[in-house]
Amino acid sequence: MFEVPEDRKYMESHEYATTDGDTATVGISDFAQDELGDVVFVELPQTGDEVSQDADFGVVESIKAVSDLYAPVSGTVTAVNEELFDRPELVNEDPYGDGWMLEIDVADEGEFDDLLSADEYREQTE
Amino acid sequence: MNHDQARYGDDERYESLLSEKDSTEIDIETDADSPLPDDLTRDSVELPSLSEPEVTRHYTRLSQMNWSVETGPYPLGSCTMKYNPTFAEDVAADPNGAVHPDRSEESLQGTLEVLYHLQDYLARIGGMDAVTLQPPAGAAGEFTGILVAKAYHESRDDDRSEVIVPASAHGTNFASAAMAGYDVVELPSGDDGRVDLEALEAAVSEDTAALMLTNPNTVGLFERDIEEIAEIVHDAGGLLYYDGANLNALLGRARPGDMGFDVMHYNVHKTFATPHGGGGPGAGPVGVTEELAQFLPSPRVRERSGAYELYDPERTIGKVHGYQGNWLVLVKAYAYIARLGDAGLEDASAKAVLNANYLAERLDCEIPYEPFHHEFAATAGERDAADVAKHMLDHGVHPPTTKWPEFVPEAMLTEPTEAETIDSLNDLADAFNAAFAADSEALESAPSKTTARRIDQADAARNPQLSWQALEPSEE
Amino acid sequence: MSRRRHEDADGSPYAPHSPDETAAMLDEVGVESEAELFDVPDDVRFEGELGIEPRNERELRSEIAATLAKNDDLTEFLGRDHHTHYVPSVVDGLSERAEFLTSYTQYQPEVTQGFLQALFEYQSLLVELTGLPVANCSMYDAATALGEAARLAGRVRAASGTTVLVPEILHENKRAVLENYVDGSDLSIDTYPMDDGNVDVDALAERADEETVMIHVENPTVRGTIEEHLSAVGRVADDVEALFCLGTDVVALGLLEEPAGVGADVVVGEADALGLPTAYGMGLGLFATRESFLRQVPGRLVGASEDETGRRAYTLTLQTREQHIRKERATSNICTNQAWVALRTAMHLSLLGPDGLVDLASECVREAEALSDRLSALEGLSAPVHDRHHFREFLVRTDRPAPAIAGELETEGFAVHAVDEHRLQVCVTEVNAGKTDELVAAFEEVL
Repeated sequence: MFEVPEDRKYMESHEYATTDGDTATVGISDFAQDELGDVVFVELPQTGDEVSQDADFGVVESIKAVSDLYAPVSGTVTAVNEELFDRPELVNEDPYGDGWMLEIDVADEGEFDDLLSADEYREQTE
Repeated sequence: MNHDQARYGDDERYESLLSEKDSTEIDIETDADSPLPDDLTRDSVELPSLSEPEVTRHYTRLSQMNWSVETGPYPLGSCTMKYNPTFAEDVAADPNGAVHPDRSEESLQGTLEVLYHLQDYLARIGGMDAVTLQPPAGAAGEFTGILVAKAYHESRDDDRSEVIVPASAHGTNFASAAMAGYDVVELPSGDDGRVDLEALEAAVSEDTAALMLTNPNTVGLFERDIEEIAEIVHDAGGLLYYDGANLNALLGRARPGDMGFDVMHYNVHKTFATPHGGGGPGAGPVGVTEELAQFLPSPRVRERSGAYELYDPERTIGKVHGYQGNWLVLVKAYAYIARLGDAGLEDASAKAVLNANYLAERLDCEIPYEPFHHEFAATAGERDAADVAKHMLDHGVHPPTTKWPEFVPEAMLTEPTEAETIDSLNDLADAFNAAFAADSEALESAPSKTTARRIDQADAARNPQLSWQALEPSEE
Repeated sequence: MSRRRHEDADGSPYAPHSPDETAAMLDEVGVESEAELFDVPDDVRFEGELGIEPRNERELRSEIAATLAKNDDLTEFLGRDHHTHYVPSVVDGLSERAEFLTSYTQYQPEVTQGFLQALFEYQSLLVELTGLPVANCSMYDAATALGEAARLAGRVRAASGTTVLVPEILHENKRAVLENYVDGSDLSIDTYPMDDGNVDVDALAERADEETVMIHVENPTVRGTIEEHLSAVGRVADDVEALFCLGTDVVALGLLEEPAGVGADVVVGEADALGLPTAYGMGLGLFATRESFLRQVPGRLVGASEDETGRRAYTLTLQTREQHIRKERATSNICTNQAWVALRTAMHLSLLGPDGLVDLASECVREAEALSDRLSALEGLSAPVHDRHHFREFLVRTDRPAPAIAGELETEGFAVHAVDEHRLQVCVTEVNAGKTDELVAAFEEVL
């Protein structure tokens, strides 16, 4: 059974965004990290870059797979988890914690309504 | 079958690197008798300095820590690892064939004659009108074929931007089309594992430059609707491209040219038994219809009143290799085809298909798509196909291609080829079945009889060490 | 149950089925004949004959030997980017061990450590010689390696430029291959002029601008001249933020300026000058680059890791760059490469060692200089055409038409290349150095 914390919302493509406050923390779900297998490389935008909802913002690679990462919400990147460049395995070990990817200054909180709730996402992955 | 692979080395490594055996630095200015002024030379060179006996022992040991088709079964699906006849090596080693490509045509009549006959043999086997031998590998053949298709459309002022590729195709198809500048349209597999005609109808358009197809396809099924497929593509103004990876299934029984294909490549290191050399060299000759012959790479070989000469096709795409491709591979392919002849080629396919079907019959696993020909995609079901493969290594066989094609869950794409005896097929089946019967602990701890135990591939990718200069000091 | 096939057996000599076994297998599968297993519609079945007559091994060996014997027995003084050195017998003996020769790409690293280590060592040898930290385990040849370098430049370019600058004397075949490799991109090829067999640096600086994504320079050049302005070219490339791509070969690397030292970002060329005898143009593409372009490198890479016992072990790595995973977004379509040639090159380099390599490279300079002097002393010839140092080969100016001289030399048993109406190109290495007296005599004969 995969962990699906209630305090965030999800995309069908398995990215999550936290919803408490103006800044959303973005990463990929426990289910996604397990599907990918050992994550070996993460490519992320730079602080200050703009991302828009549903557009790709980066890439996550395992040994045998490459997946684009899609932004759950639009906004400005305010922080990037640079620790992942040296330790991409954090995505596997702690996807909702130390394996986070971006912090986004959310442009339009209304966009959260387009995302799946924890229950809806859990249903999708079952 | 019992099997323990050679294992040299110590607690740190399996065989010391050349650089661990010796490293000697030569200062060009002081140690060498350089004929050049210092500002045109490097300062120093540091390389292993070893005697011939040491080098010989090094590589002999490495060879013993390496699996090959002469060691045992190597049933990699879509790779056609069949026996590589030794006499072809002798043929290729003929010193009269060791010539420089700048030689005049008049002085190379022998070389050109061999190439001319190989062009002819391949054209007959593929049902094609003209063949170039230049592409040095299958992927290079694909790139060449797509460039030919592009030149054809351009010659008609027909601007087309897309190449259609089945989702289950070899990755090279996608990459070759993209390299030639095309957008790739992925065609989903039908429920029966074949091309879905409705999906194809929906995918083709006036933008379609070509459809790339393998037949039998990547799960071994013959595309029975090939004539309808050809019609759909041709009606849209596109060309039909044949990926020759699976041609070993059809030799003398069906020919791409007769099925409506306009362009094809041959993988001579698969179908025509030239050794794969641990990754290459191969050769990827390309055959085309008469209409497309004018676009083939330059030069081609032709015969004029008993003499052989090189010429540039009228509207050639230019070149895809610095010279004429991989001569040593081509001449071996020629020797193989000539050795077998019509009956031998047909028998090779017959036995390749029989072997695949016989092996499948003995496996305790599901094979979702049938009737297959020279290869089949078994599924490892709930097991991880990669683990099953590692377990098989302990039984004295090489495992099949794993986790591909992707539409088969935990696929094990198996192609035993015609070269395996009934006994080795039985061994192979035993290895499969032992792995299917093994518990997850046994699967995950395999292999143990190979030189190395399970290798940490994630670490290799996370911390790339791509040379001995980059090795992290060992933690002793 | 005998499986031995007679020479006249009707079938593949390499399909080891006795009639009884075939029958037993058909029975197990549940069909009467192999033909039933072919799910091929009647309309596309081939009923005709291919018309290929089978021959037995003995017949074929003599037949092909007889055909190849139709090649004239010429002593070749040919080069132009494609060079031959003496390959020690032990390279054949070792590389033709079936465990190497008949193995596949190392998809199961645990059982293919031997080849993986050999390729890792090949990469390391090139890292040492180029000074660049990443070398792949081969491209097809120098021409396709150059094509891949241009495509890499297109991917990593800092600016929006689209021009790849190559020397006006680039080998015409390389140019043709390069054109095809950039055909599907927005890149275009342009040339810069040469000055007496070296880069005309001022003209290059004028030609290079923000449109330039790559500058390709060769050392030695296709004319055999040693380039004297590599560092200056590196500065021009830096000024316009273009990639500096240096073309060379594995022997020249042993003596000439180290690519990393002059600022090269990518090194391409022929690595088969060692390890592979002349094989009608078959090659081994050398490709090395900087660490920062690691994820843009085309082709296979072998990396070191550990196995479960903690011992060092090797595996193909960073495969997400490659076509079987990244498909149309792969760095290249290359799959099958020239691994076995790379193995041979590594063997040859190991046998030479550093002094052997430096000596061989030095000989390439001395032999060229000596032969050039001797030819220049003949009435009707002057050499070298370019007032530079030369590596293996050089141009000779001829009073009489060069193609005619080349033709007459051929009847004397020698192959040299006519570059144009009044220039010949002559290439000499240790392989043909023993025949220079005869070559000079033949020149005297035909002049």
